[in-house]
Amino acid sequence: MLHEITLTVNGEQRTVAVKSHHTLLKVLREQLGITSPKIGCENGECGACTVLMNGKAVNSCLVLAVEADGAVIETVENLSKEGELHPLQQAFVEHNAIQCGFCTPGMIMSAKGLLDRNPHPTVDEVKEALAGNLCRCTGYIRIVDAVMDVAKKGDA
Amino acid sequence: MSDLQYKYIGKPADRVDALEKVTGAAKYVGDYYLPDMLYARALRSELPHARIKHLDTRPALNVPGVIAVITSEDFIDHGRFGFPVKDHFALAFEKVRYVGQAIAAVAAETPEAALNGVKAIICELEPLPGVFDMDHALDPDAPQVGFEREDHKHPNFLDMSPVYKGDPDEVLKDCPVVLHEEYRTVHQEHSYLETEGALAIPTSDGGVTVYCNNQSPFITKGNLVAVLGLDPIKVRVIQPHVGGSFGGKDDLNYLTACQVAALALKAKRPVRMTFSREESMIASYKRDAMHMRITLGADKDGTLRACKAIHTLDSGAYSSQSPFTAWRASIHAMGAYRYDAVKVEVTSVYTNNGFSGAFRGFGNTEACFGIESAIDELAEKLGMDPIDFRLKNCLRVGDVTPHGQKLTESVGLVECLETVRKLSDWDRKRAEYARQTSQDTRCGIGVAVLFHGTSLGAEGVDCATNTIEILPDYSVACASGLTDYGQGPRTVYTLITAEELGISPERVRILLADTDTAIDSGPTVASRSTILAGNAMRVAAQTLARTLNFAAADMLKCEPQRVMRIGEAYVGPNEEPVSWEKVVDHARSMGLVLSAHGKWSAPEIHWDHHKGTGTPYFGYHFAAQVAEVQVDLRIGKTQVLNIWAAHDTGKVIFPQGALGQVYGGITQGLGYALMEEAIYADGYLQSVNFDTYLIPTSMDVPDMTARFVETNFSPGPYGAKNIAEPAMVPTAPAIVNAIYHATGKRIRVLPADLERVALGKSLHKRGSPVSCKVGLKVK
Ligand code: FES
Ligand code: FES
Repeated sequence: MLHEITLTVNGEQRTVAVKSHHTLLKVLREQLGITSPKIGCENGECGACTVLMNGKAVNSCLVLAVEADGAVIETVENLSKEGELHPLQQAFVEHNAIQCGFCTPGMIMSAKGLLDRNPHPTVDEVKEALAGNLCRCTGYIRIVDAVMDVAKKGDA
Repeated sequence: MSDLQYKYIGKPADRVDALEKVTGAAKYVGDYYLPDMLYARALRSELPHARIKHLDTRPALNVPGVIAVITSEDFIDHGRFGFPVKDHFALAFEKVRYVGQAIAAVAAETPEAALNGVKAIICELEPLPGVFDMDHALDPDAPQVGFEREDHKHPNFLDMSPVYKGDPDEVLKDCPVVLHEEYRTVHQEHSYLETEGALAIPTSDGGVTVYCNNQSPFITKGNLVAVLGLDPIKVRVIQPHVGGSFGGKDDLNYLTACQVAALALKAKRPVRMTFSREESMIASYKRDAMHMRITLGADKDGTLRACKAIHTLDSGAYSSQSPFTAWRASIHAMGAYRYDAVKVEVTSVYTNNGFSGAFRGFGNTEACFGIESAIDELAEKLGMDPIDFRLKNCLRVGDVTPHGQKLTESVGLVECLETVRKLSDWDRKRAEYARQTSQDTRCGIGVAVLFHGTSLGAEGVDCATNTIEILPDYSVACASGLTDYGQGPRTVYTLITAEELGISPERVRILLADTDTAIDSGPTVASRSTILAGNAMRVAAQTLARTLNFAAADMLKCEPQRVMRIGEAYVGPNEEPVSWEKVVDHARSMGLVLSAHGKWSAPEIHWDHHKGTGTPYFGYHFAAQVAEVQVDLRIGKTQVLNIWAAHDTGKVIFPQGALGQVYGGITQGLGYALMEEAIYADGYLQSVNFDTYLIPTSMDVPDMTARFVETNFSPGPYGAKNIAEPAMVPTAPAIVNAIYHATGKRIRVLPADLERVALGKSLHKRGSPVSCKVGLKVK
């Protein structure tokens, strides 16, 4: 059965007909052509699919597309404006917080979700906010450093 | 060599692919949605060992949306495949040997239709008894997993790798202090965040282009050519961005590439297969499990005399890389020490426990846990400090290794040990923690050392070729057959090119790996990219630099040796600088070729596989790591507080990249030490997603301090060695040795989880086939 839903995705209003059992992740990738949220586990365990939904970091593999009707969705594609990187993106580059990059979009969105609600987190709060985002490559250290760096500069 | 002489080597740099990755622009194979593209899905075995009695794929074709279906009949020689042992098939033929093995594959308009197609296939399997215990794989009455052998050895025998020096049994008789213990490691899942996948696009000439998240695209190509019978010129393999691999995206992905290519040729449409996490965990190969039996003998004064290491390696259903893994394990099984006599025998066997293949450290991760635990136990028996004991016996420049190889340079182990001793405040903490009496929580500190042969070693032909070309916009494009799946070699090649050509790194572009533009340089494995392709890149860039220098001299009307550089500009005796662009233009007008190949071959070495002696590798990475832990004695929970790591990497070319490898490697080692266990119960994997297969999160990682000991390594580019694998190898034994220091309990079976630390054993749990069976049939 198809349902028509309307979302604001990265500032743009989009209307799509979705199947009731399809997830927001699937619809973003397959129907809306937004591929930065990655398929890591489809089980809510890895965070590779993290997007901001109404400002909150969610695992888009656990959200049914129909539940997202009317929601505002933001993905990493929306962060850099006119070639200017968002401070979090910049910090990830500078701290070399990236290796294979598969976790990176989700990691950045989780970090943004945290800084939007808590602009000055402690290291432990950063680690906790990112605990749902698995990274097999980096050992997390420099991801945490990058987020702390942005928090300290306070320009997120 | 002073750092001052380099502009980019060893200096801060950003990863060349960082921008694409932080903006979400980087495309991985699953991000390709082509018009007309079909989705593929494989029918996978639900039995660990069975005969295929009846296979009828026709019903799948009646399922709406299904376009094509294939079996082993669609390949030449049933798609027989495998290196070094040809024991596998592109799709199962006659038999299945493990749960998750692909039997048939379907391409359909949607993933749902593909899954329905798979479910419609009629496949009757007749169960066969299985082998699930490697220690009984070679019993005379063990069920037969492997093929009959020409030499009439047991069909479940795969290979045996020896190292022999003298007669340790004789020497052990003389040793006042002897230790004999057994150690076990379990299968480990790579857990790359991106699962396996391949996309095949049929081309108008009857060939196929395949995008595959493999490590070594030329091997994928070779397999495609062999099993599809295509003209090599019609087969092209492109490696898009790869979401991690760690050794894990070889064999299974070669099979996947063959399957999608056959489907695409049949359907005459693009076909993509990407694995669900469940499918990935069930079907993919793992780090082998190893059972190690170690005997060490020493004199009272702490001089190590003899080592015996008799190991069994569970290769699972197929050989994959196990003979090479076992070989690397054998070379490193005695650790980085001097001995009078050594006997190592590592035997790999077939079972029906999934299948084992390459994983970071490649046999040494397992062997290092064994020997570094045993060395710690022996130090304790001798009443010696673990670092003092290692310092007394470890390899130094001028020593001859137990293999018979004289080490002439670049052995920084002593310095590594001294570095971590100091950084960790070892002596004070060893003494302080020895006095703890709390029954609740205690701290401990432990050490482990490593040596790790660089590159392939005597495993195979070892050379690489890179290419370089100046493009019309004055940028420089380079290609390498050794690829980047996250480790960072593209950045290494960039820095080398910029250094040699005297240009800004921004001008340099390293192409993504593509068999049509790069030159086959062997597999991207064994942490060999920096040394092999780094040298090849350097040779290519130097050749091009000479051409440009010649053109500049012509322009500046002077001898080539009088041409100087200021920034990118060329300057002659009249001191008027000419820009890089002008020199390039001039070279073009002179008709010079502005492209070059650079080839580099590793020094020739030899290993005698029967005598167990020779020169296994042309160089070694050395390292020492110290772990500090806090253990909750009541529940057995270990928190790693700190890791100090000193690695003799030779000259570091891309420091942030090298550090990233160390942090990431330590974290994987921590997982291996404390939580990761891919358990097979009667051949069924018990954890099929990250809810039950736990890997370290941001909350689990300790503070990490890394130092590089940069001994010069003359064959390496600028003196560089390797880092990717060695980073993880000593972490697990360092942590387990620290747990012993904290608790007085010796964990000889990994992982050191709550039960093993609190109770000294793992509680027996009954296994279940359910998660595998369900996992293969969902999403
Ligand atoms: S894909 Fe959504 S949490 Fe892993
Ligand atoms: S960078 Fe590879 S998973 Fe995080």
